Amino acid sequence: MAARTRLPLLFPKNLPPFRHQKLVHTEAVVKEPQYPPIVPSLTAKSKSARRRQFEERVKTICASPVEEKLSLITRIQRQKFVVYPQTFARNADRWYQHFTKTAYIPGLPEKFNLNAEKTTGEEGSPSAPAQVAVPGIDDDAFADIRCMVTRVILQEQWYMKKRKPFLYREQEMMVGPLLRNLVTGLTFSLAKYNPLLLRSSLDIDPQVNFYWWRGQRIIPKGHRKGRQEPTRFQIDDRPHSQIRISQQLPQFTPLEASYTAEVPEITYAPNLMPLFRRQYDNKIFTGSKLPDPACYGHTQFHLVPDRYQRDRMARQQQSDQVEVFLRANGLASLFAWTGAQAMYQGFWSHEDVTRPFVSQAVITDGHFFSFFCYQLNTVALSVDTDANNPRKNLLWGTESMRLYERVEKGEVVGLNDGVIKLLVQFLLNQP
Amino acid sequence: MSPSCGGTVDISVSLVLIISFATKSDTGNYSCMTQPPDTISPTVSIQIAGLQGQVWYWMLLGKSAILLFSLASLAVKYKRGELRRLSAHGAVSRLQARRHFGVSRCLTAKAPPARKPRERVEIPGLERITYAERMHYVPGLAKPVFPDWERDYKDPRHYRSPPVHEMPLYKEKPCYVFNQRTSVLEGVRQALWLTKTKLISGLPPHLVSVAENPANQIPDQDERVQNAIKHARFWDTTEERPRKEKYSKTLLINLIHLCATLQSSHPAIGRRILAEKYSLAATWKRGEDLFQIRGQNGLLHNSMDPLPAVSGSQEVADTADHVLETFYPVSPTIDLQKVHVYKEEVNSTGFRGDYPYPHSHTLYFLEGADARCKLRPEQFRANMLMFTFGNALAHAHKLYGTQPQRVLDSPVTVQAVGTNGRIFQFLVFQLNTTDLSGDDGIKNQVWLDEDVELYDFAKVRPLIKKKQVR
Repeated sequence: MAARTRLPLLFPKNLPPFRHQKLVHTEAVVKEPQYPPIVPSLTAKSKSARRRQFEERVKTICASPVEEKLSLITRIQRQKFVVYPQTFARNADRWYQHFTKTAYIPGLPEKFNLNAEKTTGEEGSPSAPAQVAVPGIDDDAFADIRCMVTRVILQEQWYMKKRKPFLYREQEMMVGPLLRNLVTGLTFSLAKYNPLLLRSSLDIDPQVNFYWWRGQRIIPKGHRKGRQEPTRFQIDDRPHSQIRISQQLPQFTPLEASYTAEVPEITYAPNLMPLFRRQYDNKIFTGSKLPDPACYGHTQFHLVPDRYQRDRMARQQQSDQVEVFLRANGLASLFAWTGAQAMYQGFWSHEDVTRPFVSQAVITDGHFFSFFCYQLNTVALSVDTDANNPRKNLLWGTESMRLYERVEKGEVVGLNDGVIKLLVQFLLNQP
Repeated sequence: MSPSCGGTVDISVSLVLIISFATKSDTGNYSCMTQPPDTISPTVSIQIAGLQGQVWYWMLLGKSAILLFSLASLAVKYKRGELRRLSAHGAVSRLQARRHFGVSRCLTAKAPPARKPRERVEIPGLERITYAERMHYVPGLAKPVFPDWERDYKDPRHYRSPPVHEMPLYKEKPCYVFNQRTSVLEGVRQALWLTKTKLISGLPPHLVSVAENPANQIPDQDERVQNAIKHARFWDTTEERPRKEKYSKTLLINLIHLCATLQSSHPAIGRRILAEKYSLAATWKRGEDLFQIRGQNGLLHNSMDPLPAVSGSQEVADTADHVLETFYPVSPTIDLQKVHVYKEEVNSTGFRGDYPYPHSHTLYFLEGADARCKLRPEQFRANMLMFTFGNALAHAHKLYGTQPQRVLDSPVTVQAVGTNGRIFQFLVFQLNTTDLSGDDGIKNQVWLDEDVELYDFAKVRPLIKKKQVR
């Protein structure tokens, strides 16, 4: 049966029609804030005040030009760990990977490896001569370069009358001039294939410095006991020589590809490595000051120290540390160089790099050559910026390879073309 | 002063003092004494010469006389063979420092003079009775003299070199050696005399025309050179400005780097190589004296091809009329290291055998390279000239043999560049002859462009003097 529904006989009193219209048909009202935003104090003795001070500091740094940025970041001197690229600590490369958030990939990037595969494929064909082919260079030029390398080696090892080297100065007296002539000879022979080298700047015995924050620790003792303190690191490096260019080298892999790389995690404190702390000027330097037009790096060349001798390490059963030393050296030097280049462009912890910075290095002791490539994907290594940072830096490196067996009666025996090829490819790298 | 030869105890020493200026108020009696006393025989005569028309004879002022007498006494002692140590320049130096052992007396006073040891008297025929067998001092017996102990094995840490005249390479005739730290008194004039060279100021015209030719210039040359200078002077260090030695070296390296970028258009640059720390040696005779040049002087650019001769054979023959400039009374061998122990006929370019880059192309000298010797500009130019000559001579000896040749078939040309970071000196040397004994005949030629400024100044902050910016 039809139930009698009660119709609302009366309009509800609290809904007068005129006032109601306004609520139904108008948009949300945008109100001007009548008071400034409520932020924590700047000078109070509280944790929020400290946080706000820090944020203000970050804002002033972001807003200033590059020179001021660098001086503001490196202004305050505190105790920091001094990281030496050439160190005898055991397993130094894992420690340094942890400090710099770098993943190690054995071998070289595809652009250098591709040619090795191509030549192995071509060896079957009878028309290919015994020499390896480098893209961009014809065989005659490669033969010229090979002769030049032979002559350079012979000059230093055979033709020049040298006195017996002083104790622990053999690298400086014997290998230094050889490397210098090799670098200059190769650079100018390859200048016509790589026009960047024509405009490059060659530094002999430059300085490279970098200062960064990574991780934190609880202060164990003192009036600041119990508080968190960020760990500061400084690298002061002196490569034998380096080539700086005015344009940036192209990246080896895109940024996103580094998200999956693995960085070894070390739970111990850095001073257990052993690593020691000092307090002095925090320097960030690529090899030349800011106004220099050649501000990007191309290749560095390093000499190993005199106390690093393979046969001595073999006698002490430390043959595995041979490669570890070279890797740690390449990693630290290249990280410092690329980091300093990024800082010169205005990127720092709180403003991460928008494009990867790429550099190369060759480490040698006269006979053995090792090649390293580094891609810096992130400078945001301090605690608060690293929390959600999936990017990692990448290091590619080779094992050490012999350039020649020995020098006998004015002849170089056993010259390795592969090493020359890699050197040439390194120097030919251009955007 | 010249001590007379002779090994006797009494040696007469004559001092000649030349006084250039004297007034009447200097007359009077002067006394002098010798220090240490009575080391010179009493027959010391002082001649005073050089006074024009003055008739006063006097002894010179006290202290300088003491100094001269002490030097004379040391010279006498050396002649007697009592002093063993000599300094590098052949002058005489004192014995080891006298020790002051007595600690019970006052320590701040001057040490008492050394007592002379008792003189040993040897009476022939009489045997000296010593306390050697008794193993302890006995008053009345003589002090035993034991033979010197010589090590029977060779220990390199305890080696005493024999005296100069017993060394195997000792020669009576001295040889004058020029090395990289020599600073000659007369500068370029002395170097010209020593190398029998004619100086032509200004670079040869064909070099200047090569430099002006726009095809030989680097693209954007001005801007790149300015960048190179700025890098060397300002940007190379974390401090405010780099030090002089550092910036001069960096500037030279940067400029060589710039020049070498022309390799693609000038393939000859690829046929050169740099050598640093090479040791040069060359020998030649000039008049009665033997000269050698030795040392590690700087950077060298070696090339596979020789440099072409700058001046033709007619000009070379014309140099025979040129008279070398002498600077009497200064001897041309002044400031050169005089040695009696040397190897004869050393001629070495620094490289052995069939080096693929046998010809020296350019030498690069840095003024601040050696911290121990600071050469003035004139001496620096002389240094450059001598080492360029040395390189050319060593090469000529290698090609034509060590016999002096009156005129070389093809003259050897070597270039040199020297700098102190701002001012450059350019030098082109052409060796025409290796017959350097006489002062006549064909001479070598050098074109010298001195004191060329690359830039006026490079300052990091503006100079403010008296509240005005200069």
